[in-house]
Amino acid sequence: MNSARRPVMVGRMLAAALWIWAGTTAAQSLPRAADLPDWSGAWTRSTGAFYESTAEQALEPPPPADSPRRKPPYTPKFEAIYRDNLARIAADRFPDPISVCGTPAGWPRLLALPDAYEFVTRPEQTWVLTENGPNVMRIYTDGRSDPAPGDFWATYTGYNVGRWEKDTLVFRSLGLKGVGSTILARTGLVMSDKLETTTRIRLIAPDRLLVTTVLTDAEALTRPWPVAFTYSRLPPGSTVYDYACAENNRNPITSDGRTLTLDSGGRVIDKIE
Amino acid sequence: MSVRFGLTLLLLAAVQSGAALAHHSTAMFEPERRITLNGTIKEFQWTNPHAWIQVSVLGADGKPADWSFECGSPNTLSRLGWKPSTLKPGDTIAIVANPMKDGTHAGLMYTIKLADGRMLGPGAASTEAPAR
Repeated sequence: MNSARRPVMVGRMLAAALWIWAGTTAAQSLPRAADLPDWSGAWTRSTGAFYESTAEQALEPPPPADSPRRKPPYTPKFEAIYRDNLARIAADRFPDPISVCGTPAGWPRLLALPDAYEFVTRPEQTWVLTENGPNVMRIYTDGRSDPAPGDFWATYTGYNVGRWEKDTLVFRSLGLKGVGSTILARTGLVMSDKLETTTRIRLIAPDRLLVTTVLTDAEALTRPWPVAFTYSRLPPGSTVYDYACAENNRNPITSDGRTLTLDSGGRVIDKIE
Repeated sequence: MSVRFGLTLLLLAAVQSGAALAHHSTAMFEPERRITLNGTIKEFQWTNPHAWIQVSVLGADGKPADWSFECGSPNTLSRLGWKPSTLKPGDTIAIVANPMKDGTHAGLMYTIKLADGRMLGPGAASTEAPAR
């Protein structure tokens, strides 16, 4: 085994073993709905983005633009992909997949969207609904196991199996689409389809949710990469709206990845050489 | 407005200031430069994924020219105090925007000053109460 990747492999094996052990003990009893925390209402992201963060750092100002926290600990292969993405951004050839209306942001990118969120808890399942997109993420807490290798395929939000640890929802995500289908951020950050995440969601104040996610990716990362976000509850009675991306999308993408701008009559107004 | 409402609006304004970044690359806009234009509203498209403001601006030659200004989504704007009726055809406005790099008559809206003096937009220091 490549010595640089040994810590990643050992860490993943330990995490998987702990996950299976904890899951078998937790799967025997579902929580009662009345015992679940109150995550009702609409929420909006208040801090966090895709840079390395502990739970405490999630409450601090963003790191400076040149901070090493801004970039994942990429393997040489993904360092090269990232640098190529930077060049493509500079040339306006790094299209955002969600510019094609109907394409989901996917997990974990949907943690960093604007507009409203809803976190709907039920004993057997939790739904994360994002107004922007929209995106629907289902997290199963009904005692099921992760699908066996070969029994699943990559999707935008993956397979999310978890459990409640008192007031904290803990879940593992796998089977995610990677580079070529999704991005983490428009700053050029991408992961591979080997990405797996372990996420914890809990209230840290009556109207503040903390989400911490540890990304592991045997192909893209040399070590696990933690990120953290917080969300603030919107005023009671807030409405979550429709988001029909195709309603008036004036920014189509060309076949070579350039983002165009249309006038109100649907004509391209960019000066194209 | 309650303190909680105010704090929520500040959070929204801070996070959503990049709201127009939500849907597509903004490589076509100049991020470091802003222009100010005075004009007359032709149309306000209260649509997803972005609202758009169509403005008639008098050029140096004295002729009117059509400009397009991109905004956040109606969902974002509504929580920052905007309504579909905030802008009406014929309203005179002053708009500050990041222009397009290629000189095309379009930009990314930063602030807009209405005829009654109100300032709106991600760059505005204050916002109206949210529509509910």
